[in-house]
Amino acid sequence: MRLLLSAELLKLVKQSKTYYALGSIMVIETLILITAYFQGSTILDLLLDNLKQSFYFEGTLLNGNLIMYIVLNSLWFNVPLILMIVTSGIVTDEYKDGTMQTVMLQAVKKWKFITAKYIIAVLFTILVIGFMMLTTFILAYSIFGGGDLVVYLNTLNFFEADDAFHRICWAFASGAVSMVFYCVVSLTLAIFIKEAAKTWIAAALFLIITTLLLKVDFVIPVINSFFFPKLIDTWQQLFYYELDWTQILMNNALLILYTIAFAAAGTYVFHKKDIG
Amino acid sequence: MLTGNNLSKSYSSGKALNDVSIHISPGQICGLLGRNGAGKTTLFKILCGLVKPDHGQVIINSRRSKPVGGIIERPGLYNFLNAYDNIKIFAGIQGAPADKLSIEQTLLKVGLPLDRKDPVSNFSLGMKQRLGIAIALINDPECLVLDEPFSGLDPIGVASLITLIRKLAEEENIAILLSSHMMGEISKCCHFLYVIEKGEIVNSGPTNALINAHITSFSITASNLAASLTLKNYEVEMGTNDARVSCEAREIPSLLTELLSEGIQVTACTPVLTLEQLIKKAI
Repeated sequence: MRLLLSAELLKLVKQSKTYYALGSIMVIETLILITAYFQGSTILDLLLDNLKQSFYFEGTLLNGNLIMYIVLNSLWFNVPLILMIVTSGIVTDEYKDGTMQTVMLQAVKKWKFITAKYIIAVLFTILVIGFMMLTTFILAYSIFGGGDLVVYLNTLNFFEADDAFHRICWAFASGAVSMVFYCVVSLTLAIFIKEAAKTWIAAALFLIITTLLLKVDFVIPVINSFFFPKLIDTWQQLFYYELDWTQILMNNALLILYTIAFAAAGTYVFHKKDIG
Repeated sequence: MLTGNNLSKSYSSGKALNDVSIHISPGQICGLLGRNGAGKTTLFKILCGLVKPDHGQVIINSRRSKPVGGIIERPGLYNFLNAYDNIKIFAGIQGAPADKLSIEQTLLKVGLPLDRKDPVSNFSLGMKQRLGIAIALINDPECLVLDEPFSGLDPIGVASLITLIRKLAEEENIAILLSSHMMGEISKCCHFLYVIEKGEIVNSGPTNALINAHITSFSITASNLAASLTLKNYEVEMGTNDARVSCEAREIPSLLTELLSEGIQVTACTPVLTLEQLIKKAI
């Protein structure tokens, strides 16, 4: 397994699409920073004009924490879409280039090969989210500095600078679990579909449907609590004023179980399927 | 040794293979001739273990970790990597030696240069075929399966690949099965031929015997052939520089002698055998 992992790592490092993924994350961050720099203060002043007359805010509200929170919100659609496209390519490219056949003609066990791909996809996703968090932190704090965070979730929630930073860090960690889930799903879709373009469409559809189902009330409490579309926004719960750590941890644990289930299904199907 | 017994395979589009049996001994080069869509690739995929047959079985008497190596349809390579890194990856994933010396030896074995550091995407098809064979040979398989290895190659590339295939069979005692729809190329290097049509083996036998049994015409190259009186006794189709003469193989020595006595200097006499003839005669 170690040999397969190092081979997969070498492929990932040498492929240009890896750097396209990181580059596109940087583009999203840069656009958010530029927009915030030139228009952020005006928008915030307009929104919070009344509140500022009643409350005192430490520092400016257009600060590094707010920028990090805005970047964090790209976990809703932009980042998972990019990640799903890139990670599904880990499998579809092998089919397209004929390397899947070449690998399967070697003394390599099918389940080990595909498991190595799942592991690399997970590591790559965590790396991207880590990279996103680190670059946002450096850029946002160096340009806008620290400060209190104001977030609208049903109502306006205010967090002091230190508390806000901790919540953002945990939100990135929880968001990484959601992104890993999406990536594993896209890899499983790639195993089923094999073709890159069809897999992208299926992955985007999955992402859209999941986001839509998140807002649907299924009436049955068990489904509302444990169905995976209801778990993917757990990172948002870090921005409720009262933190329910038990709920957050349970949701993430459940999402990890769903992730393992999707990976197991993909591995089983790949093992049973003919190659070619 | 590689044996396939009574192999059958159906897809939703129809039956791809029907009760096919095939056998390749160590050091033997076997050819599988067939038109496009005759079932060659399906048979190869089954023999390599990529596709499970509906019926029949594949027997490989081998204790090696990789009994069969091969190229199916085209060499599947990581085009963004160079030849060295390709070998390194494919050797590495199966625990075969992936040190510099071993990789260079593998490259040299198939006649690839060591100084090419650019990505494989820049390679010619011939070089990609060689690299594909190098990858197939990692971990010393006992059998090598090459699907359409000559397609897309120029005559020099074909000749060079035939030399390599012969060398591998003779020096390393590898059982080699290769497929093609090109009669000329496959008959040059194979000891034994199978002819497949519509998913069934319709003809088989040692290459020379098969050619002798089915040959009905020869291409004779010589100057002033049109003036030959001898050729008037045969059914002849005149070309620009040659004549295609319809006759039995046993008639050739006397025909050549008569042409020589007429003062016609024959420079080449080659059997003309098409795949269609092998299929038609068998059916």
